[in-house]
Amino acid sequence: MKRTTTDHDSEGIGRRQLLSAVGGSAVAAALAGCSTLLSDGEAADQGGQSGGEISDEPIQAGLLTFTRGAPGVLGIQAQRGAELAVQRINDAGGIGGQREIELDVVNEGSNPLDSYNQFIEEEKEVTFGPISSGTHSQIAPEVEKNEVINVSTDGTVTTLYEETVPDPTYSFRFQNYDIMEVVTMAREAVERIGADNISTVAGVNPGYSFGEDEMRVFTQAIQKLTDAEIVYEGFPELGASDMANHITSINNEEPDVTFSSLWGGDVTTFVRQANANDMFENTTVFGTTLYSAAGDVPGDALAGTDIYSGSRNYYWGLPALGNWQPGRELFDAATQQESVTVPTAHYMSGYGAVTAWATAVEKAIDLLGTYPSQEQIAQVLEGHGFFTPAGYHNIAEDHQGASNSFAGQMVYDDDLGAARLEDVNTYAATETAPPPGVTGSDWLDSWSA
Amino acid sequence: MAVTPTAALVQTLNGIQFGFILFMIASGLTVILGILDVLNLAHGELFSLGAYTAIGVFGFIIGIIGPPGGGVVGTAVFVLAVLAAVLVTAAILLPVGTLFEAVFLRQIYDRDQVYQLVLTFALLLILLDVKKFIWGDSSIRTDAVYSAINTIPTSELVGLNYPTYNVFVILVGSAVVVGLFWFFERTKTGRIIRATAIDREMATAIGVSTDRVFTLVFALGAFLAGFAGAMAVPPTSATLEMGTNPLVLSFVVIVIGGLGSLRGAFVGALLVGVIRSWMITLYPPGEIAAPFAIMALILLVKPEGLFGTWGETA
Repeated sequence: MKRTTTDHDSEGIGRRQLLSAVGGSAVAAALAGCSTLLSDGEAADQGGQSGGEISDEPIQAGLLTFTRGAPGVLGIQAQRGAELAVQRINDAGGIGGQREIELDVVNEGSNPLDSYNQFIEEEKEVTFGPISSGTHSQIAPEVEKNEVINVSTDGTVTTLYEETVPDPTYSFRFQNYDIMEVVTMAREAVERIGADNISTVAGVNPGYSFGEDEMRVFTQAIQKLTDAEIVYEGFPELGASDMANHITSINNEEPDVTFSSLWGGDVTTFVRQANANDMFENTTVFGTTLYSAAGDVPGDALAGTDIYSGSRNYYWGLPALGNWQPGRELFDAATQQESVTVPTAHYMSGYGAVTAWATAVEKAIDLLGTYPSQEQIAQVLEGHGFFTPAGYHNIAEDHQGASNSFAGQMVYDDDLGAARLEDVNTYAATETAPPPGVTGSDWLDSWSA
Repeated sequence: MAVTPTAALVQTLNGIQFGFILFMIASGLTVILGILDVLNLAHGELFSLGAYTAIGVFGFIIGIIGPPGGGVVGTAVFVLAVLAAVLVTAAILLPVGTLFEAVFLRQIYDRDQVYQLVLTFALLLILLDVKKFIWGDSSIRTDAVYSAINTIPTSELVGLNYPTYNVFVILVGSAVVVGLFWFFERTKTGRIIRATAIDREMATAIGVSTDRVFTLVFALGAFLAGFAGAMAVPPTSATLEMGTNPLVLSFVVIVIGGLGSLRGAFVGALLVGVIRSWMITLYPPGEIAAPFAIMALILLVKPEGLFGTWGETA
């Protein structure tokens, strides 16, 4: 089923038109994935307009992400995405045509606040990351205190800009946040199965704040869209080796929909054990981050399953690579990097966070004629729109990124050697996110049943 | 939530299967504690090392014999090959355990227990780094074993939907229980080990080499941990952190059963497995708390654990 499709064709766009469209600089063009449309040697010349007042001192940037262990499945994707964005910026001559970026990557690990503070002691000019919602809640107040811009890759907890830092200045989030990905999947469930056919819902979500947040939002959303009753909620701990009990409970209830925000290696464990227990004969699974295991989940485990996954604000296969050169170039570059079988939404988290900041700085340089201060960059980032190969993104006034969301059926592709999404639907941010200034819960409450 | 009789049976089987894995880990821990009086904090890492090693051994052996062939004979050959891979993995852990005991632990038996805790914690960290050095940061997995064994019909024959691999774990776990009790009750070596546990000085006086017994027991503990790791890994992945939770749950099991009691470890493991399973069924948020609640209850009612300590009986 095709809900909406967005086909873009870059052919026929001239260099000047392109530069104008993506923000007026070679850096913006390179990050939008349109650098091949610039002629050789011109890229560096077009890198912002410095007015001669910008030093050529490299920009020291820090990225906080998981580089190992189970969360590394997501974190390394974000790292590779950020590294590609930095490489493209530097190849295009650097920020303002003069300042290349040096990216310092640190494992989020068990003491992420210490790692973040180390970045500040080292006088990083910008920080990116983190992945974890818990880490984000810890560092966002510090970001405001230190007055150094942070563009988070993930850390998508709904309450961050509602409760933790309700009036942020220097803290921004690029990726779609929890409510957006959950509402996407609630709408996707209704789209695929039909509201009248959803009367029972179960959930298997990670046993920490992220999973509990996602299940709470999904319950609120699906009960507005349908008359469904929640029949089971399981919360296996992160990295659980045995999910048989949760699967048996689902088989016992045979819910119309099973919602899951499991991610990474937990998806593989869940899908393999669910398949062995014939769970997919009894329910259809809808998950926000199941596709994060695209390169990990084996083909035989996906055979005969009925799984729909979201892919946050980026799915590499839409628009089709053959029709979208920036997407093709990003995919090719990503799959040549170490540990990237296919680029997932977390890849775009890293790429997009760097792009959001870099294009805002370029815009500020354009406006000011000189290198901007932290406060000036923050002002430009509010309401800032920019392109990546995933399409157009906007950082809203509430500092939350708002982009299209993607969801489709997760199947295994032998040629790719990884999972892909089939029959992908696109959801606009206005369908999945509350308006700025309205909390997610209030917004969902306001929906007519 | 209404639980159907079939679901109740499957949940109980899930608990028993989990309990057997726990027993395989906890038995090594409790035997080492009972004889050597050492709480081995590195035991979870030995379990994890077994899981990592097994992935390579499974790959090697299945690479030789190929996927399960058709018919009873082909299936039997495959199952036996998997069993052989598990035993080979456990055997690889034997020299690791021997080395740890002979080189490190033996030097500090006379010291305060806190030194042993610090040393075994150091071994835990060393093993963690060794795994990272050999296998890297990312999780690794074996696909062939779990899916292939699940294709063998077992529970379906009695109208039940239950993965054959889980049946396999229960059967192998039962064999391990029988084998261990037979070893400690019926063999000379087992009796010597028990005698050493009851009275170390008397055993020495009648000519038992406690050094040898200690090395043997620690190596046996490592063997059991490796065996458990190899049995546990096919349905999931080997990750750097995978040793932590089993270690904690094994502590719970041996406290419930009685420190150093093999019988206690068996009953404690099944108790924890089944009650945890039912807790997930009836009240999922209680999954993590349930084993600790049982432990607290047992400590209040019977502080020495259900079966006291190691000695007169296994």
